[in-house]
Amino acid sequence: MDMTMFYYIVAAIALAAMTGLARSRRLVVSFASVFFVMQAAFAVWSVTAGAGVQSAQFFTFDATGTLFMVLMAIVSPFAFVHSFDYLRDNNLPEFRLYNMLMVLLCTAVSAVYFANNIAVTWIFLEATTICAAGIIYHRRSPETLEATWKYIFVCSTGIAMAYLGVLILSSAAHEGSLSYESLREAVAHCNPLYLKIAFLLVLAGYSCKMEIFPLYTIGVDANFAAPAPAASLISTVLVNAGFVAILRVYRLMAASVVFEWVQSVLVLAGVVSLVIGALFLRRTNNYKRFLSYSTVENMGIAAIGLGIGGVAAWAAVLHVAAHTLIKSSMFLQIGVVRSIYDGYRINRLGDYMQLNRVGAAGLMLGALALLAFPPSPLFVSELMILRQTMGEGQWWLVAVIFLLLCIVIYSIFSRVIKLCYQPNQSPTRKSEHATWLSWSAFSLLAVAFVVGLTMPEWLKVWIEQIVNF
Amino acid sequence: MILSLIILYVVTLVYLSITERFRHYATLMTYQGWLLLLIALLRLHSIHWLDLLFVVTETLIFKAIVVPMMLRRIIKHNKINRVQPAGRSQFGSLVMSIVALVASACITYLVADDSINQAFFCVSLYALLSGLILIVMRRRLFAHLVGFLTIENGVFLFSMAMGVEMPILINTAILLDIVMSILLLGMFLTKIGDRIKVDDTDSLTSVKD
Repeated sequence: MDMTMFYYIVAAIALAAMTGLARSRRLVVSFASVFFVMQAAFAVWSVTAGAGVQSAQFFTFDATGTLFMVLMAIVSPFAFVHSFDYLRDNNLPEFRLYNMLMVLLCTAVSAVYFANNIAVTWIFLEATTICAAGIIYHRRSPETLEATWKYIFVCSTGIAMAYLGVLILSSAAHEGSLSYESLREAVAHCNPLYLKIAFLLVLAGYSCKMEIFPLYTIGVDANFAAPAPAASLISTVLVNAGFVAILRVYRLMAASVVFEWVQSVLVLAGVVSLVIGALFLRRTNNYKRFLSYSTVENMGIAAIGLGIGGVAAWAAVLHVAAHTLIKSSMFLQIGVVRSIYDGYRINRLGDYMQLNRVGAAGLMLGALALLAFPPSPLFVSELMILRQTMGEGQWWLVAVIFLLLCIVIYSIFSRVIKLCYQPNQSPTRKSEHATWLSWSAFSLLAVAFVVGLTMPEWLKVWIEQIVNF
Repeated sequence: MILSLIILYVVTLVYLSITERFRHYATLMTYQGWLLLLIALLRLHSIHWLDLLFVVTETLIFKAIVVPMMLRRIIKHNKINRVQPAGRSQFGSLVMSIVALVASACITYLVADDSINQAFFCVSLYALLSGLILIVMRRRLFAHLVGFLTIENGVFLFSMAMGVEMPILINTAILLDIVMSILLLGMFLTKIGDRIKVDDTDSLTSVKD
């Protein structure tokens, strides 16, 4: 049996331990860099030699895991490089603890991506809670303590609910194995009411990771409290882990008689998330919370896509993949903003175009990409979701989505324009690395635009494999 | 015998909704721990002795001793006493709890399928709802913590329904117990009490829009 996944996890934990014990910042950076090289090599291996291979019994290198692993391998090194600058004033223990937790978070998330067993997915999602909690508490202020408490409490409750769902599902399926494949064969003959209860519990539980209704709030608080480069991971790769966990259960349910009901629930959760995202984008006065509500809104659209099914499910996966690149770029840009203003208050920050032209241009282009203006790949995904919704004759849903997207467009544009052009009321400071950090964040956005313009064939094939069940 | 223990477990859940003092919460958690231990011994006697030993030891040490002890330490450390200010009725909570019990029983009756042990399913669902009611209805953080522990005990109870066929499910549930409860209880004991200084949710409102 292939043991690559096992070796990868062991090596990553060893590197995390070395990072946590390093005696100088240089060593911390070195160990973290080795991890990223290893992560990139692992992603390349999973694309080439690993495709379809079952590893260490509980993992399979399928298209779903591979796509999101590749995205993480692209995004996470940027988050680390930005972290090194963001944490330059931190002492060594804080710096190495943060980096160790980031390495562990990436490792746990990669295990969630590739898990072929519903219990293993759950275990590693639980592990992400612990890693993310440590990162959220990094600044050790009363606000971060509050956010960490809320994060651990709500995630634990959600994870416990999801586990009850997993138990009911496996109990109803009467299947000795908890692999998705075995469960998929068994659920076709299960009691529909059990399946419905199980799905509701799993969706509600994992919603804390995917940042959709009902437990979306803690994701917003987590992104607010965590350092901006870490938020760029929490709001993308960790959200993707929640998405993958729900997607795998969704695919299970496709074999059962309750699939239509499951789709309706996803549409409902998606619409409510979209409403919340749209309304709170107007209300919040903090740029990090603002971007987090944009994540809630985008994940709501992805849930609607899955709920509609067919081409819209394809578009939902593309939407999540593109969102990873765009949102991480935006969070990293906001991290650069903080290095100049030392804050995130929307009503006080301004004149960013004069202070950092590259960063301002990156934010404005990022806003355009988030709002699905071509050539953003989100344009393709949202258009496909809307077309499929119209094709299904659900005009009320199209109207609701349009209305809410209008609010989102107004909110995002007005906030980004404010930052760039309104008179600044906040003290500023000189940031030595702002320009090149802005360029590096911009490069992620450029990748998203290239994907939107070219729509590579391999990406289409991967997504086809993911939604082909 | 198992049914009698499960009924006693339901009684502890009902009593959770009407109790007014935090030390009673800790006592009820102790009772639940012992009841779960007895249920584990009776229900899982046929599994491999090493698995049984692990489950029983965990339930005894963790659920019946450590968690209640930590709860009492939190009560002592934070000097908290009453669930709600004196004079407020617990009638609303009791009604909600009874509604949750009836709803759980109705759902179990509607399922009417013997693929799942119905007594365990019904009580686990009731424990989940009771925990959520505690979290939603009570303002004090300590009550939220007890709500989470109630949900967790419900999940553990249901895992025992399937533990004979799949002991790995109980072990995973134990993982949830150990990691999350210790983290939450430890954080409450060492951080929340010291830094935030008060035990009301009103104090946790600096992170909001």
